[in-house]
Amino acid sequence: MADLGVMALLLGVALSAYCAIGVVIGEKMGRAALVVSARRALYMTAVAAAVASGALINAFVQNDFSIAYVADHSNTLMDRAFVWVAFYAGNEGSLLYILLTLSVISVISVWFAPKRLARSMPWTIAILAIIQLFYFGVLAFVASPFELLDTVPVDGRGINPLLTHPGMFSHPPLLMGGLIAITIPFAFVSGALIAGNYGDDWVDVARVSAIIGWGVLGTGMLLGAWWAYTILGWGGYWAWDPIENVALMPWLVMTAFLHSIMVQKRRGMFRLWNVALLNIAFVLAQLGMFINRGGPVVSVHSFAASTLGAIFLSFMLASLVFAFALFLWRMPQLKSDRAMESFVSREASFLINNFLFLAVMVVTLWGVLFPLFSDLARDVSVSVSAPYFDRVNGPVLLGIVVMMGIGPLLPWRKASARSMKQWFVWPTVVGLIAIGVLIALGVQRPVAIFAFGVVAFVATSIGEEWWRGTTARHRSGDNWALAWWRLVNSNRPRHGGYIVHISILMLGLGIIGTNFYQQRTDGALALGESLVLDNYRIEYVDNGGSSRPDRIAQWVEMSVYEIDPDDYKQEISFAKAQGSSGFTLKDSTLRPNDELIDTIEPWHGFYIDFNMASVRSGIRSTVVEDLYVIPRDFLADGRVSLAVSINPLAWWLWASGPFFILGTMVALWPQAAVEKRPTRKRLKGEPEGDI
Amino acid sequence: MEVRHVAAPFFSPGHSLRGSLHGESKVMATLLSFVMIGPRALPANPTTVIFTVLLLSFLLALSGCVRESDITLEQRSHQLGGELMCPVCDGQTIDGSNAQIAVDMRLKVRDLLDEGSTNAEVRDYFVLRYGQEILAAPERSGFNLLAWIIPVLIVTGGIGIALLSIKNMKKSGLESQTIDGPSIAVEQEQNDLSHYLAQVDRDLGISSGTNLSVNSNNESDEIDDSSETTTSEKANS
Repeated sequence: MADLGVMALLLGVALSAYCAIGVVIGEKMGRAALVVSARRALYMTAVAAAVASGALINAFVQNDFSIAYVADHSNTLMDRAFVWVAFYAGNEGSLLYILLTLSVISVISVWFAPKRLARSMPWTIAILAIIQLFYFGVLAFVASPFELLDTVPVDGRGINPLLTHPGMFSHPPLLMGGLIAITIPFAFVSGALIAGNYGDDWVDVARVSAIIGWGVLGTGMLLGAWWAYTILGWGGYWAWDPIENVALMPWLVMTAFLHSIMVQKRRGMFRLWNVALLNIAFVLAQLGMFINRGGPVVSVHSFAASTLGAIFLSFMLASLVFAFALFLWRMPQLKSDRAMESFVSREASFLINNFLFLAVMVVTLWGVLFPLFSDLARDVSVSVSAPYFDRVNGPVLLGIVVMMGIGPLLPWRKASARSMKQWFVWPTVVGLIAIGVLIALGVQRPVAIFAFGVVAFVATSIGEEWWRGTTARHRSGDNWALAWWRLVNSNRPRHGGYIVHISILMLGLGIIGTNFYQQRTDGALALGESLVLDNYRIEYVDNGGSSRPDRIAQWVEMSVYEIDPDDYKQEISFAKAQGSSGFTLKDSTLRPNDELIDTIEPWHGFYIDFNMASVRSGIRSTVVEDLYVIPRDFLADGRVSLAVSINPLAWWLWASGPFFILGTMVALWPQAAVEKRPTRKRLKGEPEGDI
Repeated sequence: MEVRHVAAPFFSPGHSLRGSLHGESKVMATLLSFVMIGPRALPANPTTVIFTVLLLSFLLALSGCVRESDITLEQRSHQLGGELMCPVCDGQTIDGSNAQIAVDMRLKVRDLLDEGSTNAEVRDYFVLRYGQEILAAPERSGFNLLAWIIPVLIVTGGIGIALLSIKNMKKSGLESQTIDGPSIAVEQEQNDLSHYLAQVDRDLGISSGTNLSVNSNNESDEIDDSSETTTSEKANS
């Protein structure tokens, strides 16, 4: 199997090198046959990558521990389902997975590329082939997953226990796939620029491929957050860890691009800017690849660390130079068709939104690099972690959400005072009412209250537009559901965008709730004892365990009661005096108003070979808040030590996922005949302009 | 009980209001009816229903955030735990780590707080022993001030560049407007397609007759696509 894999990789090197050289020479010398042949070579690289991947997966299935990578990332006890995870659990395998994804999406995008891009396709293919050549080269000569061991071990080391979670079937592949997918729009646009194709021919294909990569990357990040929340046992979901940041940065730039590309599509503006954004996103994706593989910063994700750093750094710098040079070379040709007419227009608001996204990106990059900078400049080590990023990025992200409510309601070109009034009265009123209600209810934390008001403002702006569009269509005869459906279908990019905006608002609710209102307490319980936090009482009722040669697992069963704080007045005031948020009860008798609402089973596993604990939190999740129990440790006296928290609105974080995916799909769905309709006369109340 | 919360909300921050959802839902119902009914009474329809449900659940969900105000020592120690890095873990704070040293450090934080230390004193205690690296965010002084100032410059600079470039794009437009070819092409395209589009509208059940009449008194059409060609024609002449 190893031989087959090595051969496939070498073949891939040859094919992609031939493709890159052939397509350029063929294009320059006018040899059409050579270009066609090179294009077919690109198709074959996908086959080579698939064969290599198949060989590695087969080695895992066969437990072929003569291959070092297989021995390092699996063992005979591993559930066979995790072969797929083990495939990309380490450095070499994840590179192979990235290559496989790249080659497959390259083939698909080249195959389905629109005819009008024919002139620039050779260059697009050349860029794709060169990037593939890099990966094939690294895999074949530097980090081969088919390295053989001198002595074949009886059993492998096993898979990293943190990866044995359902989320791992999709989080890493989506994340890596999303990052590498940025290559496609980059290759199309760069190809068009090299060929001197300055028009907007590339807009649609770049937009579609960018949305796919962006949606996949976003879904991957969200799944990663969900995985961290349920299994990492630290009670959070986003740590502003360097690896998270390098995935977030290109995503932010792509988000900016998806907005500004609509300005180019509809108004023929921002051409230069869009090219710049794609170039930045691509270079940032390469930065992500570099930092993921032995970069200079510490991270919880560093299981994939290696000495590949220098190679990936060089590739990143090369892509930076290439992107920048191409940009400078073609800059004079990239002019806007039209001028900006007003500060109060959709195109202006999109430009501001773009700069805010870029600001978050640059600030995040600054935070990631500051420790390096400090080390180099004055030899003092500092850490830059969550508290820093929350502080510096929080306000700008809130500003972006505000723009999310304003931008879509502004018409293209120029807004009149009357239309401003017409569209912004309700969102503003509802936003202010929401703030007022929250204050009246006695909710604390002014910043969070303001943020909730912003969420209400944006939600109303979306609701208002849907409402007006739907009633307009309803009046012309459709029933309500059909009217709304037709509204969405009349302009899928716009309304898909709104659905994504709703998912962002839901995410925002979760972020505000968990960041500003989390309550926590720690405690150690013996069987029969309870821990009380706010109006929950958690009783430790049972435990159990199971052992396998490679791991010791223990679980605890806990009953969750909802309590009436009046029953516990004495204890509560005693705990307050002690400075504690919660307290433990030795006695298992229930108070009159205790009501059993749930049973949770937190789980704690220790992996001997890895000297690593893996925790599955016990979570009772409701729309209002999550009760979140982490079993931290099992003490010698039989007690279990717990970290208990109440995470308000955490449910909304995960509920946003389906909306995000749905909105992305709606925005992507081909427009067919409806595409040509922006010139149709508008119905009364229907929003101005189209996106 | 419920009434008291709603009536004297400012004076009862020490209570969790989740127990009295009744009072809140009353407030919300009033709010919602106000929001949803709007300027005139509107019949129920899917969009309103979806929107109402969404807004209602948003607001219902917020009730989880009604919390007490006085910060306990335990809350402070968690807060501090989030500001101190775990020395042996990669990129985790002691609050999030299960490593033994993190457990010990958490206990130490709590001890220091029990002894009456301020947050700054607790941070200094650890910086003295582990160096600046122990802080999850660099201090706002000396060289580290750079870490905090540069983001402010980036954000204000970014917004400034955006505004400036909008201004520039407005200016440069005045010159290039005279040769605005594409919009004339757009107009012709519109003419060519108008019959087809009318047919599409009819197929979709939107009668074109009502469209036009509705359209004529619709102020939003002040900025219709068609007006674009008029302006450019003016510029041409």
